[in-house]
Amino acid sequence: MDFNVQADTQEISVFRKEVREWLQENMRGAEGLRWSATWSTRENEEEYQFRRKLARELGEKGWLFPMFPVEYGGAGLTIDHQLVLETELDHSGINLAAVFYTLARIVAPVILKWGTEEQKREFLPPMLCGEVSVWQVLTEPQGGSDIATCHTKAIKNGNHYVVDGQKTMVGYHHPPDFLWTLVCTDPSGPRHENLSWLYIPGNSDGITIQPMSLMMGIKNTVFFDHVRVPAFNLVGGENNGWRVANTHLELEHGGEGRVGADPLVERVVAYCQQMRVAGAPLMEDTSIRDIIADMMIELHAVHLFARRNFWHRYVREPHPYGGAQFRYYQRMVRLRNGERLQQIMGCDALVPNLTVNEVVDFEYVVRSGPGMLHGGGTLDTDRLVFARRVGLGRPTKETAPTTI
Amino acid sequence: MDFSLSPDTPAIAAFRKEVQEWLQENMRGAEHLRWSGIWSTRENEEEYRFRRELARKLGEKGWLFPMFPVQYGGGGLTVDHQLVLETEIGRHGLNLNSVFYTLARLVAPAILKWGSEEQKREFLPPMLRGEVSVWQVLTEPQGGSDVATCRTKALRDGDHYVVNGQKIMVGYHHPPDFLWALVCTDPSGPRHENLSWLYIPGNSAGITIQPMHLMMGIKNSVFFDNVRVPAFNLVGGENNGWKVANTYLELEHGGGGNVTEDPLVVRLVRYCQRTQGDGKTLMEDQSIRDIIADTLIELDVVRLFALRNFWCRYVREPHPYGGVQYIYHQRVVRLRNAERLQRILGYDALVTDLSVHEQADFEYAVRSGPGWLHGGGTLDTDRLIFARRLGLGRPTGEAAPTTV
Amino acid sequence: MDLRLTKTQNMFKRAAADFVKVEAPSHIVTEWFRNKATFLPDLYRKAANLGWLGMVVPERYGGASASFTDCAVVFEELGRVPLPGPLFSSGVLSALLVLEGASEAQKESLLPAICSGRSIVIVAITDKGVDWGTESVETRLTNTTGGFVLDGTKRFVYDAEGATSFICAARMENGGIALVLVNRESPGISITPHVGFMVSVAEVRFDRVKVAASSVLGEAGAGWQILDGALQKALPILCAYQVGACQEIFDFTAEYTRTRVVFGQPIGRFQRVQDHCVELSIHLDAARWVTYEALWKLDSGLPAAAGVHEAKAVASEAYYQVCNFSHMVHAGPGTDYGHPLMAHSLMAHTLYQYLGTPLHHKRKMMDALYPRGKG
Repeated sequence: MDFNVQADTQEISVFRKEVREWLQENMRGAEGLRWSATWSTRENEEEYQFRRKLARELGEKGWLFPMFPVEYGGAGLTIDHQLVLETELDHSGINLAAVFYTLARIVAPVILKWGTEEQKREFLPPMLCGEVSVWQVLTEPQGGSDIATCHTKAIKNGNHYVVDGQKTMVGYHHPPDFLWTLVCTDPSGPRHENLSWLYIPGNSDGITIQPMSLMMGIKNTVFFDHVRVPAFNLVGGENNGWRVANTHLELEHGGEGRVGADPLVERVVAYCQQMRVAGAPLMEDTSIRDIIADMMIELHAVHLFARRNFWHRYVREPHPYGGAQFRYYQRMVRLRNGERLQQIMGCDALVPNLTVNEVVDFEYVVRSGPGMLHGGGTLDTDRLVFARRVGLGRPTKETAPTTI
Repeated sequence: MDFSLSPDTPAIAAFRKEVQEWLQENMRGAEHLRWSGIWSTRENEEEYRFRRELARKLGEKGWLFPMFPVQYGGGGLTVDHQLVLETEIGRHGLNLNSVFYTLARLVAPAILKWGSEEQKREFLPPMLRGEVSVWQVLTEPQGGSDVATCRTKALRDGDHYVVNGQKIMVGYHHPPDFLWALVCTDPSGPRHENLSWLYIPGNSAGITIQPMHLMMGIKNSVFFDNVRVPAFNLVGGENNGWKVANTYLELEHGGGGNVTEDPLVVRLVRYCQRTQGDGKTLMEDQSIRDIIADTLIELDVVRLFALRNFWCRYVREPHPYGGVQYIYHQRVVRLRNAERLQRILGYDALVTDLSVHEQADFEYAVRSGPGWLHGGGTLDTDRLIFARRLGLGRPTGEAAPTTV
Repeated sequence: MDLRLTKTQNMFKRAAADFVKVEAPSHIVTEWFRNKATFLPDLYRKAANLGWLGMVVPERYGGASASFTDCAVVFEELGRVPLPGPLFSSGVLSALLVLEGASEAQKESLLPAICSGRSIVIVAITDKGVDWGTESVETRLTNTTGGFVLDGTKRFVYDAEGATSFICAARMENGGIALVLVNRESPGISITPHVGFMVSVAEVRFDRVKVAASSVLGEAGAGWQILDGALQKALPILCAYQVGACQEIFDFTAEYTRTRVVFGQPIGRFQRVQDHCVELSIHLDAARWVTYEALWKLDSGLPAAAGVHEAKAVASEAYYQVCNFSHMVHAGPGTDYGHPLMAHSLMAHTLYQYLGTPLHHKRKMMDALYPRGKG
C-alpha cells in the first residue's frame, strides 16, 4: 500500500511546480477572502465573483476536470496529476469539486458515460471550462428520498419535451445555467422504467425559482410550467433514467471520494491555544483534549474512507458499499462534531463572527450537523443502499455501478 | 410529585424498624458473602445455600411477595410496605426480585392473573414462600426472539398433555423445580391462536437438561421427550397462550419496574479513590471524572425509568411504552458502561480477582455488556414493541397489557 | 411515592396550555424565530397578568408563593412552543437572585416590579463564550467618589433585548465578585444582538458606566455565592422548559411518521425511522424524570446540588439530541424555517449554552458529590 498523495515522479514534480506557480499567480487578490463553505452566512459577492473567475481560469487549462478527455474540455491527464491539483488547491483552502456553486462534478461524469457523442460535444465543454453552473434537480415534495416516485412529467411534443411539475430543496442562491432534471416520460409506465434525464437550460420559459430559507442556507423550489425542452437534451435514452440515476447517485452518495483533508481540527486547536480560561489555555484542559482527540480520530477515519473511495473510483474498481458507508459516517461525525464544538467553544461555536476564527466558520459547522443530514437521501437511505450492496438478508449483492 | 421511597407514617416507620431488625438477625453469618450477580464466576455454593434459606424465611413472613393476597402466600401488604422491603433488602446488596435463582417474580403474577382458583391455591404458595425455583422456558433454537413460532408440541392425551420438543437458552446452573413453558397445543391452528402455557414439574420423566456455556455463564437446552403433564397444569386456557404471554412478556420486558439502585458507581468511585495513577488517585483525574459522570448520569436515568415503571404498575396505569424503553435503554447503558469500566480500570476490569474489589465484580459487569443484550428478546424486538405501542406509522398505538 | 401531578398543578398545566394555544400558534411562532423577533412585550404582559412571573416569590413581594414544581409545570407548557422572551431569565432567575442575596429594601423595591412585569431584570454573568466559572468574570467594578464605575463587555447575554435593567457580575478591585444592578438607560450601555445560530442573545457593553453604591446587590464580594444559590433553584425550571420542548417534538415527530407517506407507506413503518423515535423518547424521558426528581428535592428541602447540575446537563443534552433525532425523521422539510422544528433547533442550541454546557454541569455535579482533593 502507498498512502502518499505526493509520490512525485520527476514529471509530476514538474507539474506540481507549475500548478503552484500558477496558483500563486492566480490566487493573488484573494488573500482577504475566506473560502467559506457553500451555505455559510459569511459568503459574499466578491468571493463568489472570484470563485467563478478562478473556475474559468482553471477550466481554460483543463484543470477543473484534469482526467477528462481533451476534446470535451478536460486535460487528459493522469490520476497523479489530479492528486497534485487536489492537494495544491487544498493548500489554498479550496477544493476542485466545489470551486464555485455547481454540481458539474457529478453531472459531467454522468453525461460522459451516458450521453451521445453530439451531446458530449455540446454539453460538456462549457461545464468543464467552468463557464456554466448546473443544479441537480431531483427531489419532489411528495417523494422526498423516494426519487423514483417522480411526478414531474416530460411529454414528447414534436422535437421537444414539455415539462410540468415541481421540484424542491435544490440549488443555491445564484441562478443556474442548466438544470439536470429527473423527469417522468411515461406516466403510465412501471416504476423504474418511466424515467429520463433532461439537461434543461435555466433560462427556458416557464421556469420559476422560489427560494426556501433553510437551516443550512438558501435552497429552492423550482416550478415547471409547460417548459419546452429540445428532445436533443434528453440524456441516456427515454425511460432509461433509472440506470442513469444509478451512476449519478453513486457519485452523489460518496462514491466519488476525495483526497483533501478537513482543516477543522487544526483550527479548533488554534482556537484552544489562544483562548484562556481560568488563567490557562483551553488546550491545557484534559476534558477539552479528550473531546478534540475523539474529533480528530473520527475525522481521520472519514478522511481515509474518502481517500479509499477516490482510489477505487480511479482504478475503476468500485467499492461495494464504500460510497454509502462514507456518506453515512461522514454525516454522523459532522453531527457529533457540531456538539463537540459547542462543548469546547461554548457560545463562540454559535456565532459566525470573524473574531472567533478567520478561516473556519464554526457556526456553519454546527448548523450543518443537523442541517445536512438528509441532502441527497437520508441517513436511512444510505443504510438501505449499504444493506443491498453487502447483500444483508439476500442471497446476492447488488453491484456498485461503475462511474467514471 | 413525590419521589420518596420512605413514606414516614407511623405504621410504615414501625414496619421499617421491624424489617431492619429482622434483616439484621437473619443476615447474620453472611458478612463474608459477596452477593455476586447470578452468572458471576464468583458465585459459590455457600452463597447459594444462604440465598435459598433467606428466601424461605422471607417467604414464610409473606415478604417475598408482599403485595400478593395472603391466601396464596403473599403478605397482603401495600405498595409502601413493598418499598420498605425493597429498599431495606437493597441495603444488604440483594434485591427482592432475585433473592435466589428463580423467575417467580414473573411467573407468579402471570398465574395470579390467568390461573383458576384451584391452580392459584396449588401453584402459588410454594412459589411465594420461596420454596421452589421456576425457570421460564420460551426460546427455541429455530425461533429465537420469535417466540410465537413455537414448535414444542403438547398434545392432549386423556387427563394429560404429552410434550415433545426442545427449548434453549433457559435457566441457571441449579436444576428447576418447575418449568413455565410455552407450548403449541394446536399444530394446525393459526399463529397466535395455537399456544398454551404449562407449569411443568422439573422432575417429570422425559426431561433432559443440557448445560450451555455462554458469555454470561451457564444456561441450558431442555429436551422434552414424551413428557406427560397433568392437564390441570395448563394455565390460562388452551390455545389462549398468546394473551397470557402478553401479561408475561410485559413484565419480562421491563414493565414490572423496580426501585433498587445499582451500586456500580459507588463501588467504582471507591476503587478510583483507592487506586493511584500518575502520582495521584484516579479520582483526581479529570478524564476519569468525566467518564464517571457519564456512567452516573446514565445509570440514574435507568433507575428513574425503572422507578416510573414500578409506579405505573402499582397504580394500575400501564405506561404505553415504558417497559421496553427501560429494558432497551438499560441494556444499551450496560454495554456503554462495560467500555467505560475498561477505560477506567484497564486490565483490572477483566479479572475476577477479589483484590480488585471485594464487592463489585467488574469483570462480570464488563462481560454482561455484550452478553446480556438479547435475553428475553433482542434490542430490535424492544424497539419493535416500542413502535407498536406508540403507533408509529399506524393510526393508533397498541395498548399496554395490565399486569398485576 | 406519588409520581402524579397534584390537582393544582394540573390546573396550572391546563391554563398554560390554553394560553399558548391562543397566543402562540405554531405558524406565528415560526415567524418570530425566522425574524429573530423573540422579545414580545404584549405577550410578556399577558403572561405577567396570569401570574407566571415570580411564581416562586413569596406573596408579600408580589409573587405566588408557589412550589418549584408548580412553576416548572407552567414552564414545561411554555417550552412546548417554545415561548421566547425573558419569562425565565427575569421572572425566575433574577427574581430568585434578588430573593437570595438582596437586602430587604432591594427586595421590596425590585421583586414586585419583576413579578408584575414592569421591570425586566437580566443577569449578565460571563465575559466569554467558553466558560461559566467564576474566572470568566472580567468586567471591572472600580471605586470612585460616591459609587462605582462598571467597565467591560459581557459577550453573550440571553434575553438582553427586553431588559429594563441588568444585574451584572463584576470583578472588584480586591478580586471579589459583586452583583451590580444597572439601569438599561444608564449612559455607556450598548446592546448588540448576535448574528448566529441562536436566538435572543446579545453582546452587552458597559463602557465606564456609573453605578451608585446602593446598587450592589446584597453583600459586595458575595456575588458568586448569591448567583450559585439562585442557580441552584432556577435551573430545574429552565430544565422543565426544555422537557416541554422535547415532549412537543416527540409528539409531532410521532405524528409525522403516521402522515408522511414515502416508498408507498407511512414512514413510521420503517424500522430505521422507528429507531430514531426510540432514541428521541429516551432523551425526552431522561430529561423529564431527572428534572422532576430534582424539583422534588428542592421542594422537599433535600440536598439538591448534584441533582440540579445533573438535570441541566441531561435536559440541555436531551433538547439538542431530540432536535437532531427529529431532524433525522423530518429530513429536508424539517430544516425549513417555516417548520416548528426550526424554532426548537435554534432554542435548543441556545439553551445548550445558556448558564453552562452539559460538560460544565457534569463537572459541577461530580464536584458536588465527590469534592476534589479528598481522595
